[in-house]
Amino acid sequence: MKKKFFFKYPFYFIVPTLLISTILALLFFSTLKIEESIEKKVFKISTSDIFSITNNSAIYIRSLLKESNNYPHDIKADKLLQHKIDNSLKTLITPNIKYAYLIHRDERGIFRFLGDASSSEEKAIIGQKLDIDSPEWLDIYTKNEPLLIQHSMLQQLSMTYLIPIMYQNHVELILAIDFSIQKIEEIKQIIKMIQRAILTVMVIIFIILLISIVQAMRFRSIRKTAFTDKLTNVYNRNYLQKYEDFINLDNYIMATLDIDYFKKVNDSYGHDVGDSILKQVANRILLTVRNNEDIVIRYGGEEFLILAKIQRDGNLDALNVIERVFSTIQENKFYISFDESIAITVSIGVNLVPQKSRTFSEAFKLTDIALYNAKNKGRNTIVIYDENENTQNACMSLNEIKDAIEENRILCYYQKIVDTQTQQLSHYEALLRIIDKNGSIITPDKILPSIKGTFILRNITKEVLKICHEQLRKNSAIVININLNPHDIIDEAILSILQNYAQSKNIATRMGLEIVETEDITQNSNAKENIFMLKQLGYKIFIDDFGSGYSNFNYLSEIRPDYIKIDGTIIQKILDDKLSFLLVKNIVSFAKEAQIKVIAEYVSDEMIYKKIKSLEIEYAQGFYFSIPAPLES
Amino acid sequence: MKVFILLLTLLSFIFAENYTFLVQPYSKEVELEAKIIAEIATASLHSKIKLFIPQISEMEEKVYSKYFTLSPKCEDANFVFINKNIEEESLCDNASRLFFTNNYRKLLANDKYFGALFWNKSRPNIVFSKKRLEAKAIILPKTFEQFIEIF
Repeated sequence: MKKKFFFKYPFYFIVPTLLISTILALLFFSTLKIEESIEKKVFKISTSDIFSITNNSAIYIRSLLKESNNYPHDIKADKLLQHKIDNSLKTLITPNIKYAYLIHRDERGIFRFLGDASSSEEKAIIGQKLDIDSPEWLDIYTKNEPLLIQHSMLQQLSMTYLIPIMYQNHVELILAIDFSIQKIEEIKQIIKMIQRAILTVMVIIFIILLISIVQAMRFRSIRKTAFTDKLTNVYNRNYLQKYEDFINLDNYIMATLDIDYFKKVNDSYGHDVGDSILKQVANRILLTVRNNEDIVIRYGGEEFLILAKIQRDGNLDALNVIERVFSTIQENKFYISFDESIAITVSIGVNLVPQKSRTFSEAFKLTDIALYNAKNKGRNTIVIYDENENTQNACMSLNEIKDAIEENRILCYYQKIVDTQTQQLSHYEALLRIIDKNGSIITPDKILPSIKGTFILRNITKEVLKICHEQLRKNSAIVININLNPHDIIDEAILSILQNYAQSKNIATRMGLEIVETEDITQNSNAKENIFMLKQLGYKIFIDDFGSGYSNFNYLSEIRPDYIKIDGTIIQKILDDKLSFLLVKNIVSFAKEAQIKVIAEYVSDEMIYKKIKSLEIEYAQGFYFSIPAPLES
Repeated sequence: MKVFILLLTLLSFIFAENYTFLVQPYSKEVELEAKIIAEIATASLHSKIKLFIPQISEMEEKVYSKYFTLSPKCEDANFVFINKNIEEESLCDNASRLFFTNNYRKLLANDKYFGALFWNKSRPNIVFSKKRLEAKAIILPKTFEQFIEIF
């Protein structure tokens, strides 16, 4: 498994190897350098005294010869002088200095002894020749200064120190001392100790480095796992959260992709097939995008974010990538079993200029709006975010709505519902508004799409209930209708609030509950029971937008509402469209028989008003009477 | 089988000295000495060299035999290298053979030796006596000139 990993990703093998080799090489060379400098230092400390003493001896010998103008001749001729020289040389002999002797070079170029500190058999005879072991000795005649020669070939000696004794600016005699191997052994022992210390430190450093590298690799691997979606093998939401601030939006166009009707796939074939489809779609996307350039992130169930890299010559290539993703998915079959496949389409929203947004989240929001528009256009399409088109229609994001709730920026506008005959106020309908951060009033069409089906919608309903309850408490003469969606009717928290309000005197009877007609209510026994319970508590039930969707008179018999509000789009056409007129006429006729009162919405002018009045619709609501506004105190 | 392996191990330990030089006593100095003597002998004699070293040690025999045909008797040798303190009178004469010593003082004192190879200040030193070379009609190559002393 590991072998395979290294073959597949040689990077993980080559880079650490190179790194470790470099570290080792650096450690090795730095150790050598340190050793070298320490050796020099130790050597200098250990020998400096010896060299000084030897120099003194050389000065002494020269002083003995100050009257001489031929040093070798005079030494050979004078026994007393020889004795003095030998005695001086003997003072140099120590356990570390094995030999000390005075030599000169004769006319044949052969070195000959003029003095020797050695005793008995080892002592050289005056004039005895000395075969030198290295031509380095001759350098002293050109350099005219002390010379140190190190021996590697000689077993007994480690090094030789030569001091020239000058006569008329040329080297006449040489005072030589041979260091025994013992001295260098001692020095080497000290160096060895230091070497071991350095080596130990180096090994520790190396081990720490090795551990750090291994840990770094492990961290990288863990991080990769943490940032990769296990199912689809693309980056996950964690990656987005971690790196969104580091992604340079100048380099990318941004696209959000949503698999069309994916819920149906899950519902029809089960979640395993759903997962398989997700995998296949992700695989198609990965095969289509450019390696190491584009970034694919699964940020929701069936939603992907694609960051396609812009080339130097513009964002056409990047847009092509998105189009290729779209068409590849459209053209391919996606297998739900070994031999069965289905067609999958996707909706894509594209933001070509994410760099214009201040933050990644803002750019993402605009991309999401484009995706929302793509879905609204019937799905299976790509929509590019158009700043002009969306400026007016931009929906609030979930976070903005959440912030508005937390910051108490939720409020209600109220629109009058009047008695058709008298045109006197009968009820108010509370309409949701949010004040955005700029102080603008946001209407429900820019709020509800973002929160549909989320818990935020429930929280909004609670806020609206609270506001209206407060209004009813303040003003005992008014009746306010509140819009509830079918899910609110089965929500325990909302039911509990309504039950609490009903405890207060004269509240439930003045609070109308407008519920959008939907099949869900009639099919959900809890919903029906809850509606009856609310009616018993005193609340009036209004069926909102009747005629727009699931229009069924049986529905009315099931729910038994107190009022129905005929959908505004039908009322708007009542003058011109005979069918709309007949539909309204029949609804009114049925409602009268069923003792349900009727409200006409969208009564925008006198003609419509007269028409609905002629149809004996009891109540009317619309711009002809009033526009939504805050309630006057 | 176990006994066989045990025996094999014991035997290999017993004869270890025969097949690995690492356990043999070894001297660099003897090796160097043998090489120099070989050069000197080759330069001094034109016939095949038969070397005799009195009281030759086992190690010397091993090292010198790489360069020379060793002679067990002084009488059979044409080159005698005396590197130990021995009774020289007990040896054969120098009439038809060359004598070489490892002692400078012996070289100075005894006409029998035409040269010496000795350790002076831990360095190998070679000295030939010019007169004795002439007496033996030995002509050394020019490279040896620096070692020839006038006595």
